[in-house]
Amino acid sequence: MPRSLISGSRTRLLAIICVSIMAIFVIRLFYLQVIDHDRYVSLANQEQLKRLVIPAARGEIYAMDGATPVKMVLNETVYTVFVDPKVVTKPNEIIDTIKSVAGGNARDNLKELISHKDKRYEIVATKVTRKQAELMKKKHLKGLGFQATSQRVYPEAQLAAQTLGFVDTEGEGKYGVEGYLNDRLTGKDGLLQSVTDVSNVPLTIGRHNINQPAKNGDNIVLTIDRNIQSYTEKALADGLARTHATNGSAIVMDPQTGRILAMANLPTYQPAEYSKVEDIQAFNNGVIAAPYEAGSVFKTFTVTTGLDTGAIQPSSTYVNTDSIRVEDRTISNAARGHTGTITIQDALNYSLNTGMVTIAQRLGDGTQITKGARDTIYRYYHDKFGLGELTGVEVSGEAAGRVISPDEDGGNAVQYATMVFGQGLDVTMVQVAAAFSAMVNGGTYYSPTVIGGVMDNGTLKPAPVKPARPGIITKDTSTKLRQMTHEARLLFPPGDRAGYYIGGKTGTSQTLDANGNYRFDQTIGTYLGYGGSEDATKYVIMVQVSGKDMNLEGNIHAKPIFTDISNWMLDYMKLQPKG
Amino acid sequence: MSYQRTPTYTRHQGNWNRNQNTVAFASAVKLGPVTHTVLVALMITVLGLIYLTQATRATGYDYEAQKIDSKIAELSSQKTDLEVENARLTALETVRNSTVAREMTSPSSTDYVRE
Repeated sequence: MPRSLISGSRTRLLAIICVSIMAIFVIRLFYLQVIDHDRYVSLANQEQLKRLVIPAARGEIYAMDGATPVKMVLNETVYTVFVDPKVVTKPNEIIDTIKSVAGGNARDNLKELISHKDKRYEIVATKVTRKQAELMKKKHLKGLGFQATSQRVYPEAQLAAQTLGFVDTEGEGKYGVEGYLNDRLTGKDGLLQSVTDVSNVPLTIGRHNINQPAKNGDNIVLTIDRNIQSYTEKALADGLARTHATNGSAIVMDPQTGRILAMANLPTYQPAEYSKVEDIQAFNNGVIAAPYEAGSVFKTFTVTTGLDTGAIQPSSTYVNTDSIRVEDRTISNAARGHTGTITIQDALNYSLNTGMVTIAQRLGDGTQITKGARDTIYRYYHDKFGLGELTGVEVSGEAAGRVISPDEDGGNAVQYATMVFGQGLDVTMVQVAAAFSAMVNGGTYYSPTVIGGVMDNGTLKPAPVKPARPGIITKDTSTKLRQMTHEARLLFPPGDRAGYYIGGKTGTSQTLDANGNYRFDQTIGTYLGYGGSEDATKYVIMVQVSGKDMNLEGNIHAKPIFTDISNWMLDYMKLQPKG
Repeated sequence: MSYQRTPTYTRHQGNWNRNQNTVAFASAVKLGPVTHTVLVALMITVLGLIYLTQATRATGYDYEAQKIDSKIAELSSQKTDLEVENARLTALETVRNSTVAREMTSPSSTDYVRE
């Protein structure tokens, strides 16, 4: 043993002290790195590891402009400008900047807000555009902050408002397509978990980094054509102005595909300013959400049922006495005087209730609306035409309506005697328009749809075709119905352009009072028709007008609106006249 | 430096051949335990430096990537603004109220070209 380490020597003492100090270090390090390892890792992660949500962009909504998709709803980044009054050093400069740059988006009481020295966050302007925010940022004003948010932009203002819906302050789609397809439009947020530096720059070092990109919402392309939509809204507004009706709805459909080309409702609203709407009824799309007794337009359904079952032909006759007895009730015509032996075509032309009850009786034993006749009518109305059940149109708030089955209480002969001319059943316009499309297209029922596809990297990918139900009526029935409604339309000069094949049927339906009794002083005017050539029907249009305490008639108030839209459609679709 | 013959032992001792080359190098330089420790420490230091260099370089790329991401985000934001502006300018209401549209008149008659 060297002399220097001999017991009791100073060197040995120094060695012992050094070893002891080293031992203390080792023990402390062992404690920190092994025993308390998890705690310190957790503290380090809290400081360095950041979890950032990558927000998914909400899908945009397109409409068609002819064959080209155009944006109807977009996203825009806007800024909420705030101040921290405690650190503001140049309040006057901040006020001047905000007033000059943000303009109407600035709060009125800026001076007061900035003087709140006890507060750390005061909003001084909202919905400031990126350019405006950049102008403010360039001033480097101490205490001025910016918070980016995304908002929906509607460049077409109120066009198709009830079909589009809106997005509320929580980012949830409400009403319309925004509500119905909220999940598809929302997408899925991504996640970025990473070690960051003091400036929050993500670094690749670290074992727990996650980079999960956001999945943006689908960009939905609607079948709505913005030109048709715009003209339909204009024609409806003009019609309401002429008639002084307060409410109106219209739908334009492609009968060969079930695609909805326009859905208009008045009164309407601006989706960008939904919070200013006083009557929330304006949010509802009356075409799909307001079942009503469609009135005499329904006679086309009864005639179709009679034709398709072989119970009648257009030339079949009956003796009209302006009223008909069904069990203990007497049903009368609204239009009197066409008495004697007349044809079913006459009954349709003059909208005679007795003719429709006669058809219903001929579906049974010829004198009564038997259970068999009621079963047949229900099978056509409900099972084939899809009335009284949801169509599945992709707009929020669709109502099913109701068609009473013969097996239900109340599904008796009297009920069915009124149903055949459009009373005693609730249907929506979209149900009627979709079923009528099948009746004039040769007999194929297409589920109505507003979804044309999705935009993917600037390319339109068409939506899968909804299953159709071919052959719900025969082609012969369809042809006969077109002829009958064409003739019915021509009875009163409609103002159609020459050389086209256009048909339709009026409807004037009474409304119910609070006690469930029909009112004679408040009626809804409806017109249902089609247009195109003799070879093919190109469009189906249904119009409805109503107003509180107003007597509105299909022939006088709704038909001119149909004619207006129809004549415009002929030009827009570039259809050549015959002859 | 010298070479010396070293006996080689195989699993089957009996298979050893007399003329087989069985040589081994043995350095005359002998390293003590302190030298070994210092060398190991140096190697660890060098490896640490290499790691730090690479990590710093990777972090440098992170800053570059961050700059590019920011630029992409900014350009994307500008693109969105332009799309919004384009949509507003081509909106039907805007077109309808344009000077060109106001000066348009309805045709007095329409004729059709027969195909």
